[in-house]
Amino acid sequence: MVRFSVVLTLFMICLLLLAGPLAAQEPLTGREIMVRVDERADGDDRTSKMRMTLTNKRGRTRVREMSSLAKDYGKDSKSVIYFLKPADVRGTAFLSWNYDDSSRDDDKWLYLPALKKERRISGSSNNDYFMGSDFTYDDMGDRSVDEDEHRLLRVEMLDDRRCWVVESVSLDEDETCRKRVLWVAQELDLPLRIDYFDKDGLYRRYQAFDIQTVAGYSVVYRKLMENILTHHQTLLELAEIKFDQGIADAVFRVSALQRGRLR
Amino acid sequence: MILRLLLLLLIALPAANCRAGWEQIAEKVQLSGYGETFHAARIRNLSEMNSSRTGVRLEAAAEFGPAYFFVSGDGEKNWKLADESGFSLHEAWFDYVGDGWDMRLGRQIIIWGKADGIQITDLVSPPNYTEYITRDLDEIRLPVTAAKFRLLGDVAVTEFIWIPFFKAAVLADGESPWQQVDREALWHKAVEEPDDALANGEFATRMSLYLSGLDLAFSAFYTWDDFATWHRRMEERDGSDELYYTPRHHRLTVFGAEFSRPQGDFVFRGEAAALLGRYFEAKNSNYNPLKRNLFNWLLGCDWTPGNQWTLMTQISGSSVSDAEPLLRDRHTLLLTLNISKKLLRETLILSNMLYYSVNDKGVLDRAQMQYEVSDGVAFYLGLDLFDGESGTFNTYRDNSQLWCKLRYSF
Repeated sequence: MVRFSVVLTLFMICLLLLAGPLAAQEPLTGREIMVRVDERADGDDRTSKMRMTLTNKRGRTRVREMSSLAKDYGKDSKSVIYFLKPADVRGTAFLSWNYDDSSRDDDKWLYLPALKKERRISGSSNNDYFMGSDFTYDDMGDRSVDEDEHRLLRVEMLDDRRCWVVESVSLDEDETCRKRVLWVAQELDLPLRIDYFDKDGLYRRYQAFDIQTVAGYSVVYRKLMENILTHHQTLLELAEIKFDQGIADAVFRVSALQRGRLR
Repeated sequence: MILRLLLLLLIALPAANCRAGWEQIAEKVQLSGYGETFHAARIRNLSEMNSSRTGVRLEAAAEFGPAYFFVSGDGEKNWKLADESGFSLHEAWFDYVGDGWDMRLGRQIIIWGKADGIQITDLVSPPNYTEYITRDLDEIRLPVTAAKFRLLGDVAVTEFIWIPFFKAAVLADGESPWQQVDREALWHKAVEEPDDALANGEFATRMSLYLSGLDLAFSAFYTWDDFATWHRRMEERDGSDELYYTPRHHRLTVFGAEFSRPQGDFVFRGEAAALLGRYFEAKNSNYNPLKRNLFNWLLGCDWTPGNQWTLMTQISGSSVSDAEPLLRDRHTLLLTLNISKKLLRETLILSNMLYYSVNDKGVLDRAQMQYEVSDGVAFYLGLDLFDGESGTFNTYRDNSQLWCKLRYSF
């Protein structure tokens, strides 16, 4: 009797010891993975210079250069982009206050140097392409996790990195992009590739290249977006990036935008 | 005028706390601008030109910490209006950004309002109607020499503007096909403009609020009417009575309000202005213009349904306090519709702006195609159609024009 109770006790202890690790090995859900991507550490603020090269199927290129500043306010964020090149868009600036609450429209203003004033623009329409590129405003901004329903499809290797493959289906049936499939690098919580599907199938593909660590944060230095149907592609290259510079809140106000330059 | 500006800049330069040598200063100067050629022919007879000009805009800017200097100038050869040919200073100002405030001193263009193509509260920079409203906004608005000071809060921006030197609006005259009234044919005294006395300055203040989901602004402007009032009296001339005109500018006080609110795919906006003390022509042209108060308002809606479409519609009204015995109607209404579509990855933009004046059934339709030939090079082709039973649009019926423009930006 005593021997049986000792064995039972030992068995219970072993069970308890194994329960912890076993529980940790349960696969993450699609949503949990996307929350990790969304909450990936990227600094409290970010300053960067970017070069965007648009290439059509005949090889003709157009180049845009921009300065971008962004700052987190809890789960919300504010960002401003100033266009530097080409000359006919220089001085154009785009200010955005992005809210994590998907039921709340973002606040956006566009400053046009030809009009010498800012104007409010719709915060809901994010499907249009950004400055003629293959990136949409949604791609350039911060998409809320709750705008899609997420499902983990599988785990596979991509570019020598172990990735979760997650399917995200938009909850808004009016969106052009009905579904995205993301390859999320497990060690980085960063999408290395995203396939975009509309009602007819795959139409865009995003790929991340040249991932480096800057100030302890993972940074994608080259982002390529291809339109599979039109054979047009956009390469977004980071020239420089700085984190946690303590960007003043004043930079993200309309009053700063109205100066028509980055200050 | 230019000497005053240079003096201002020379005084401001030390204030910029600039210790850089001249070589270092030169390195900080950024040059930019554009060259363009514009030609417009009348539709009724394409050999008749409404406009033919080629010009260049040069801009220079330099930043030294919180201080920023900007100057721009124009050079133009105008084959239609010889007086427009030559070189001129466009803007020359100095910015300084402090902690919670900033200021801009010098010759500058100041734009207010939320309207598209219509001036309601946007009265600080006077208009240049040399070619009516067919020119770009940058060419229609005249710079003023002003001191602008802003207090910058988290959500509120308060502006104080002082314009010490009066600048009148420019109307088409002389050989211009856009001239409505040949004033030079009238017997008149030279236009009396306010002199440069301190008491003749203009003062403006505006408080803007930028909230989540709503922009608001309230303004007050103690100014001069940019357009001279043509007072008249009968006088004897060569043995007969003739109207003798004594044009002068009058003081005007303007109170304004604006709002802009996004809602889904829409942006609703509006503004209103009460102009106290404006003069209007009487029905009988022998009578002097009469002083009235005017209320202008506008409501607009911008819709971006996606796929690079933009639709902007506006309704604008104007009401005068007492229409008797004025030449104009007591209430007037103007509708506008602006539709644009971007194509070919925004290298091609098609747009159409329609103005409809309800009272005189007047129409102005401006269709335009803009094509980006390459980075920085754009070609424009447009059609301006005027029509109506009476009113300004009817006056310009013969000026309906086909135009083209080529611009190189650098």
